[in-house]
Amino acid sequence: MQAEPLIEASGLAVGYGGEAAISGVSFALRPGETMALLGPNGGGKTTLLRALLGELSPLAGTLRVGARCATVPQTERSQLDYPVSALDVAAMGALSRLPWWRRPGRRDREIAADSLRQVGLDGLADETFGKLSGGQRQRVLIARSLVQDARILLLDEPFSGLDRPSSERLEALIGSLAGEGRGVVVATHDLEQAQRWDSVLCLNRDQIAVGPPQRALDVDVLEATYGGAIVELPGSGRRAVLPPHHHNHPH
Amino acid sequence: MLETFQLPFVQRGLIEILILSVPAGLLGTWIVMRGLAFFSHAVGTAAFPGLVLADGLGFAAPLGAFAAALLFAMGVSALRGRRSGQDTAVALVLAGCLAAGVILASDVFGSGSNIETLLFGSLLLVDAGDIGLAAGAAVATLVAGALLGRHWLRAGFDSGLAGPAWPDPRVFDAVLIGLVAFATVAALTVVGALLVTALFLVPAVTARLLTDRLRSWQLLSVGLVALEGVVGLWLSVETDAPPGATIACVAGAGFVVVAAGQAIARLPRPAVLATAALGALALLGVGCGASGGSDSGKLDVVATTTQIGDFAREVGGNAIEVDQILQPNTDPHDYEPRPSDVSGAAGASLVFASGDNLDSWVGQVVSDSGSDAEVVDLGAIVPERLPGESSGAEASRFDPHWWHDPRNAEAAVKKIESSLAAADPAHKALFERNADAYLGKLRALDAGIAKCIDSVPSKQRKLVTDHDAFGYFANRYGIEIVGAVIPSQTTQAQASAKDLSELAKTVEREHVKAIFPESSLSPKVAEAIARQTGASSDHTLYGDSLGPQGSDGATYLSMEEANADAMVRGFTDGRRGCRPSP
Amino acid sequence: MRRAIAEMALLGVAGGAIGCWVVLYRLSYATESLAHSILPGLVLAALAGVPLLLGGAPAIVIAGLAIIVVARVPGISREVAVGAVVTTMFGLGALLALSPKSPPGIQELLFGDILGPSNGDLLAAALLVAAVTTALPLMHGRLLAVGFDRNAARSLGASPAVAEAVLITLLAVAIVVAVQGLGNLLVVAVFVGPAAAARNLTERIVPMIGLSIVIALAAGLAGLYLSYYAGTAGGASVTLAIVAAYLLSLPAGHLTARFRDTAPMPATIE
Repeated sequence: MQAEPLIEASGLAVGYGGEAAISGVSFALRPGETMALLGPNGGGKTTLLRALLGELSPLAGTLRVGARCATVPQTERSQLDYPVSALDVAAMGALSRLPWWRRPGRRDREIAADSLRQVGLDGLADETFGKLSGGQRQRVLIARSLVQDARILLLDEPFSGLDRPSSERLEALIGSLAGEGRGVVVATHDLEQAQRWDSVLCLNRDQIAVGPPQRALDVDVLEATYGGAIVELPGSGRRAVLPPHHHNHPH
Repeated sequence: MLETFQLPFVQRGLIEILILSVPAGLLGTWIVMRGLAFFSHAVGTAAFPGLVLADGLGFAAPLGAFAAALLFAMGVSALRGRRSGQDTAVALVLAGCLAAGVILASDVFGSGSNIETLLFGSLLLVDAGDIGLAAGAAVATLVAGALLGRHWLRAGFDSGLAGPAWPDPRVFDAVLIGLVAFATVAALTVVGALLVTALFLVPAVTARLLTDRLRSWQLLSVGLVALEGVVGLWLSVETDAPPGATIACVAGAGFVVVAAGQAIARLPRPAVLATAALGALALLGVGCGASGGSDSGKLDVVATTTQIGDFAREVGGNAIEVDQILQPNTDPHDYEPRPSDVSGAAGASLVFASGDNLDSWVGQVVSDSGSDAEVVDLGAIVPERLPGESSGAEASRFDPHWWHDPRNAEAAVKKIESSLAAADPAHKALFERNADAYLGKLRALDAGIAKCIDSVPSKQRKLVTDHDAFGYFANRYGIEIVGAVIPSQTTQAQASAKDLSELAKTVEREHVKAIFPESSLSPKVAEAIARQTGASSDHTLYGDSLGPQGSDGATYLSMEEANADAMVRGFTDGRRGCRPSP
Repeated sequence: MRRAIAEMALLGVAGGAIGCWVVLYRLSYATESLAHSILPGLVLAALAGVPLLLGGAPAIVIAGLAIIVVARVPGISREVAVGAVVTTMFGLGALLALSPKSPPGIQELLFGDILGPSNGDLLAAALLVAAVTTALPLMHGRLLAVGFDRNAARSLGASPAVAEAVLITLLAVAIVVAVQGLGNLLVVAVFVGPAAAARNLTERIVPMIGLSIVIALAAGLAGLYLSYYAGTAGGASVTLAIVAAYLLSLPAGHLTARFRDTAPMPATIE
């Protein structure tokens, strides 16, 4: 028997100021599933993530989020200078479980330390957050979402700027978290990596396609998603996207 | 160095600064983390017109400041999202607030001298209410910080994430902003409206150099505010400059010292030790050199104006020590007593004042110093009296410039002599001898000036000066006063363009040959009128104060002679002068 | 009064013209900070009896370097660095200006003396207007390109560094000249107010510059006449008139919105 989906969206439209920025979004995320969210910049990936977090209300359609969502955003410049240690950041996750006047206690800090161990950052708990590498910072933020006790993880381009070993480590971590029954949505640009997730959702203002990558990622879908011609690079069989151009000159 | 800290007003300032170090240091770290630097500066500036209103209408300053700050915040959010940009609107609103405050202070309420105090702070104005407000800010900051600090941290790190039973997370930020505004207002008396960031920003920045953990950053920040505040306070008393300015300089120096120290610490060992040794020597030198004070056993006397100081020195000779508050060419109408004036009064037995609201601040100076010196109002006993102004900030029954009539000077000298003799009977004979000699010179001066002025046809004796300081002189020697740049007995009434224009017309109509600028005021406007009307403006008069040492107005006698000479030259187009010699 | 009008007119032209670029490049905060941080240089120059520009120029360089140094502290943003440097330098300037040993008249650097300009003041203002009216039209195309899209500007042949350097230099000189009339604390108004008001009334750059100059002249002279009839302080009256003009332009802009060209100009430039 299939477990109850963690997220169910049907014909969802979300936007700002009454105008829909994305529309026609329909998908389901089950426990243990990893989903890649593909699309060009400005195409609505962040908007969808915000909707899943509950920051934006649907303008049309339905959205059911059946468990707590945690977001792992891109690290911003200002955060690198914040006077916080890795443990401090992970412990922030406890805040969302407590009433606002309660401070995280010893138990919460132990949980935070445990989740740092779980993501492989043993021994770096006291390091200043900004001094960690990109990959380590991503893992601290994931540890934070574990402390939040969230069953749904939303990662916004977690692999950008990571080198190969860090990428592989991160992929493995995501896989194991999913294996524990969580649902993971990863917004990404990496088409090749997307092939390895359980499902993909292509979004360019409208939902273009959703489903297992082998089925969903054909040339037409990619063209519609990225708005440009998909060409096959000679010699390697890999595909690449040509940026859109206007036909006001002879080819 | 330590005597400074025994004065009551310095002790009040010390308590205030130490209490303020808690909210200023703690909030400073939040201000840096949450990008509120410009906001804290803006709140202080926007409070300025509120402070002026409170001062002028007589209600509590913090209320005025709060109201103004609130209006400012509302105005800024109303102008949000304008196409010309948020910071444009804010910059304009702040300039408008400053301008409104200036006009309220100098033209509506006529308290022009207060502007500097309100903008840059004053130790002498710190009272129990301020200390109470600072304590309130400290408590509020500690409580709010304990409850909400983690939420402020969280919101600054990244947004999103709400918890069970939380209010709208924007409420937390609103509390932070309100707290910053409250604490800023509490600090306004000490540092002034324009330099709150000296306490609320610079020390936190310096502390950040030393640590990158929040707890230690907060502790260091509070410590630095306390240290720099106290040093700045001491510097303010020593240099007589406003505490806001001195604290800002100390805070800046603090940053430079720490940053330089860190840079030097990275050098090889011998260089570090050498620099540390040099630094220690320098500090020792400064500390030792700064101690001053004399203890001569002479009778300590305070004189407010330069003229009275001259009289006192003439009569008292070597038997007394005269502490003269006003300096040459300082405008007495504009004067805000400095901390050094208060410390000077602390040891005095007698205070000689000019009276008639010219130096009404002297009572506060004496009481602030904790001394029980007797204040002798010389203006009250002089024989020749002219009517004063009936309205305005310095309205008084009589025109305060009595000394320009030598007959009044004689009376003042006699009174000084009797007061000194009563306070120091041992030197009574000396005081009598000195006074008699000086009285003889005064009478000779009077006769000489009268003779010289009489040589000018009375129709040509037309006087136009910077302000109405020469009523007594004109009355004694038969000179007609045509007008003045500032048509008032006090310089605080600012010249308006209309007044100047009418004066120029009068000058032309009456064929006035010379306009006389005064030494203690800026000559620009007098010169402007002179250029416009063809009159000369070459001859300067000493109106409110003696001239500096080495000038021809350094003593009372030479001042009056110089004035007479300048006037006669001006009246006669330079053809005649007068140097009456007794 | 005639000389005051002349001084105000000259400052109004210069302020209105440069002000447009100040508003478009979002330099209002920088203008205020610049004016405050050069105070110690101005005071020292006034005490030494040399032209104010000789004090203002090194002060700007020192302030700029200090801001760069402070901004390098980890955890300190550029806004905070500017605030810290301005606080210190302004405090130093106030200390020098208000110490009892300073001669009277230094305080005028804070609020200006628009009613009594000297020949030197008028000459400086006239030279400033000459410089502004030659430099700005020459640089107009480049300033517009750089302001619109800094990265693309280079490919269009306009160097951003040169354009910004010219603009900041012109602004700094203008501030020093205007300080004599309007004072250190209020000088920002003439550079920001008329341009911001003009921005609310038009969408095109050239009309904006013209309108800004007109508004600066009108508000400046209105302030002088306010000072004349009401007997209020000169510089403060001019400032209030400028702020009033800005506030009036807000509803006025809404009203005239329908009668304008619809092709927009960038609201502000990031």
